[in-house]
Amino acid sequence: MAFLHTATGTSSGPKSGIKSKSWTPYLLLAPGLIWLITFFIFPIISLASTSTMVRPEGAQIGTYVQELRFANYIDAFQANQEQYIRSFIYAALATILALAIAYPLAYMIAFKSGKYRNILLVLVVAPFFTSFLLRTVAWTQILGDEGPIVSTLKLLPFVDESMRLTSTPFAVVSGLTYNFLPFMTLPLYASLERIDPRTLEASGDLYANAFTTFRKVTVPLSLPGVVAGTLLTFIPAAGDYINAAILGNPNTRMIGNVIESRFFAVVDYPTAAALSFTLMATILILVTLYIRRTNTDELV
Amino acid sequence: MKRDIESLAPETRALIRAQLTRRSLLVGAGAVVGAGTLAACGTGGSETEGAGIVDVSDTEKIVRWANWPLYLDFDEDAKVYPTLQQFESATGITVTYTEDIDDNNSFYGKVQGQLAIGSDIGYDIVTPTDWMAARFIEQGYAQELDAANIPNKGNIREVLANVGFDPGRNYSLTWQSGFAGFGWNVQKIPKGVRTMEDLFAPANKGRVVVLSELRDTIGVILQYQGVDPSGPFTEDQYMNAIDFLKGKIADGFIRKVRGNSYSEDLVNGDAVAVIGWSGDLFILKSENDGKFDFAIPESGGTLWSDNMLVPSTSTHKKNAELLMNHYYDPAVAAEVAAYVNYICPVEAAQPELEKIDPELAASPFIFPDAETLSKVKVFRALTADEQTNFQAAFDEAIGN
Amino acid sequence: MANQKVSQDTGDLVLNRISKFYGDFKAVDDLSLTVPDGSFFALLGPSGCGKTTTLRMIAGLEEPSQGTIHIGETDITTQKPYRRNVNTVFQNYALFPHLTIFENVAFGLRRRGIKDVKAEVDKALALVELGHLAERKPGQLSGGQQQRIAVARAIVNRPEVLLLDEPLGALDLKLRRQMQIELKRIQMEVGITFIHVTHDQEEAMTMADTIAVMNQGKIEQMGSATDLYEAPRTAFVANFLGQCNLIKAKVQSRAGGKAVVTAKGHTFEIPLSRVSTENDSILLGVRPEKLRLDDKGINSIKDCVVTDRSFVGTSTQYLVRTPWDLELVVFEQNDEGLHDLRVGDKVSLEWDPEHTFGLDGAQDVNAGADLDDDE
Repeated sequence: MAFLHTATGTSSGPKSGIKSKSWTPYLLLAPGLIWLITFFIFPIISLASTSTMVRPEGAQIGTYVQELRFANYIDAFQANQEQYIRSFIYAALATILALAIAYPLAYMIAFKSGKYRNILLVLVVAPFFTSFLLRTVAWTQILGDEGPIVSTLKLLPFVDESMRLTSTPFAVVSGLTYNFLPFMTLPLYASLERIDPRTLEASGDLYANAFTTFRKVTVPLSLPGVVAGTLLTFIPAAGDYINAAILGNPNTRMIGNVIESRFFAVVDYPTAAALSFTLMATILILVTLYIRRTNTDELV
Repeated sequence: MKRDIESLAPETRALIRAQLTRRSLLVGAGAVVGAGTLAACGTGGSETEGAGIVDVSDTEKIVRWANWPLYLDFDEDAKVYPTLQQFESATGITVTYTEDIDDNNSFYGKVQGQLAIGSDIGYDIVTPTDWMAARFIEQGYAQELDAANIPNKGNIREVLANVGFDPGRNYSLTWQSGFAGFGWNVQKIPKGVRTMEDLFAPANKGRVVVLSELRDTIGVILQYQGVDPSGPFTEDQYMNAIDFLKGKIADGFIRKVRGNSYSEDLVNGDAVAVIGWSGDLFILKSENDGKFDFAIPESGGTLWSDNMLVPSTSTHKKNAELLMNHYYDPAVAAEVAAYVNYICPVEAAQPELEKIDPELAASPFIFPDAETLSKVKVFRALTADEQTNFQAAFDEAIGN
Repeated sequence: MANQKVSQDTGDLVLNRISKFYGDFKAVDDLSLTVPDGSFFALLGPSGCGKTTTLRMIAGLEEPSQGTIHIGETDITTQKPYRRNVNTVFQNYALFPHLTIFENVAFGLRRRGIKDVKAEVDKALALVELGHLAERKPGQLSGGQQQRIAVARAIVNRPEVLLLDEPLGALDLKLRRQMQIELKRIQMEVGITFIHVTHDQEEAMTMADTIAVMNQGKIEQMGSATDLYEAPRTAFVANFLGQCNLIKAKVQSRAGGKAVVTAKGHTFEIPLSRVSTENDSILLGVRPEKLRLDDKGINSIKDCVVTDRSFVGTSTQYLVRTPWDLELVVFEQNDEGLHDLRVGDKVSLEWDPEHTFGLDGAQDVNAGADLDDDE
């Protein structure tokens, strides 16, 4: 919506004297609006409508009639609250892990990489050149019981023969972390790279040691990147189901898996729609609270 | 295709297969599309048969076929499907062959909206598995076939000729079939897996993977519990099987519930024993020097088939029937069998396959004998209510 | 962070034979310097002369490759910047954009564990006359205001030495003049040592008690603005500070407190005290405003021709060609004695021996002359 403000804002600028000027912003806006209406507004309305439908007893599979049954939401949530809560826990863990990994990485690229900067940036984005799905499947090979990591770990005296990494919450959270790492790294890099190195020198000059400088100057100045990165990681991670499906087990399923299963396997469209809506609303609320809390608009 | 991927490492091959073969996890890709189609499906399911569909086969010499990946003989060097080419040159009909079906559910999700409003889904033949074929027929999404255009129809294997969802095969013809049963790693379990006790032996704890196809996994469990999945079993009996599955998941015996990618778990060691499909294990076995094996459970396995049918929106039914007829020619069926290694629906193809590959022709995985067939059941057709409730119970059991 | 140990020694700042190498490049080459406590000192030179590197070594942002730095008795050569009682006003100010003006100024105090910062910060802000902006963010301030905040942020810590790195470079000319006076006032008020790095000779001369002119990592000459201007010791200094006429000449005799030199058949006198070389080949120097359009003096050149004339308000600037085709610059005050010559007019030049200086003749006549003044 931000771009909407900007676009209409330009029309209220100084008089250009030409009559047609007032149309330009709307023309520029048109493709985006049409896109939004077609692929966001309409499906949302359809989703909302589907979510309160009911399947008449004995009707054909996939047949639902509108009965405005809002209890669908309660039923859907109660039946799946375990996966629901798990999704947010996994997404939060993955976001924290991604932040912990991406921050030093982005910091290094922004401040210490010198002539290797562009190569490192390409490497950060490089995983995008292969399919998300294929990369996740590759993880099952890497983390597999006879894969290189487990085999190596088993050489250690205190590691049990039954040790495993795949089909564990660990694997799912790791997969989420890995898959969304670039979404964390790039905004972090962008905001770190914008920091004037002289402000860091100024901090040192004003009696702050390296750690205090990091805490009091670098971190606050990179906060817009932290906020953008955590949102870009958390939102898709909360709705993800690929990682849980490929790297998880029946006890690590996330809400995305449930929605997928209700939609395709059970052909229970109302439950799938109600769950999608609940997920969307929850993410929206969490994101709003988060942005309020971090006060990003106060930053430069 | 087989020859081509043989040069790769077993892991890589498994990976490629996991990506490309049928029933794979590509459901994932489908879900994205699905979210969009939700708008279209809403309250589908209306009868559309005969609603202004005119067969234009005689003027439009085309037929469009949606099938599962790697499910038709393919010449790697010439990049053509030889048996399709034969059909095209013999009839003058152009075939558009696409490997568009990755998963029964997601394929249904994709086309259901258009079928419901009677708009062309872009295919004249689709190839769903039994239960999904049953849904197509029941919902009026399949056209009745004209036996006169399919003289070879009589070549169909006897057990397949009369199925619950389509007695007399008026709407469908089997494309290929397979068994669901036990697969295992021979090195880890030298004595094999033939009973449920073998599968859930203490040593296998945490290294058992079962199929995410309800009919195969529950079908095997039902038979272990003495219930015939092809018979009129009750909801209680079904739920007993679900409880058994839940228990094995809760105990940590079952590590994953997977689609086609269980073969990848076997290869990378995450699984030592599975409930899996005969065709996959047949290929795994040949690619890994006999490291894996397959057996139909002593208590009984399942038999599933993929079925060609003409969707209700097709305007090229006759061309489609001619194509079905072509593949029921024993010589043509043998060529396909030699490539895909699944159960050939045309029994008379066996002597033809013997000419191509005597070893394959002798395989009970391709031409099962009566004794083998007596050990497998076809999961019975479920009513719409049963399908909805059973599928929900199954998905809930496997964590969804 | 509390009570971080910061050296409290006072005294002169002494750089003893410091060098800084970047690979083969000598940014600072064996430089020694003493800055008296409480003085306003300028490091003047063109870009790349090593002045900023010198400053950064004093600040602790760079470590010298060789040599030592002392404040009073304390060796601070390898001390971390946050332990030095030295503060810097950075080029482009480097204010913390996420903090208010108040917090920017309080930053150094808080790092040293001082609890009650309000009085100190208010005092510093009052010193730069910007107390009313305390709650703003740096982005909301003009360049001149940011500059003063940067000074306040450094000064509030009462450092032994305040370093200013081209502090006025980003300001427009008018504001720069104003800030020059302002900085001088502040320095006198607080009485701490200011080391001001600049490439602007006028800025240096306006503000500093002592100026060190740097060139290629070395100090060419150090002294008051008057010393440097009236008695430069190198061609670089002569040319870099203001304009200068340099004439190649030969020493004929050194006697009676004066040197007699000849150039193209003309004989000139220079007080021996103003000859900075033992060499016989010298450069005779005289500033343009010291030249008179007359032929009476001891040092004079006849038969010259005016080749260019430009009126610059307080004076008129002539280019005059000598009989041996050397062009000299002459400034003539716009007062009653104005000659009002035209291009092509014949003219003679003369000047007092006391205004003449002699430099080593081995130098490039144009050293320091055409260096870009405003990068």
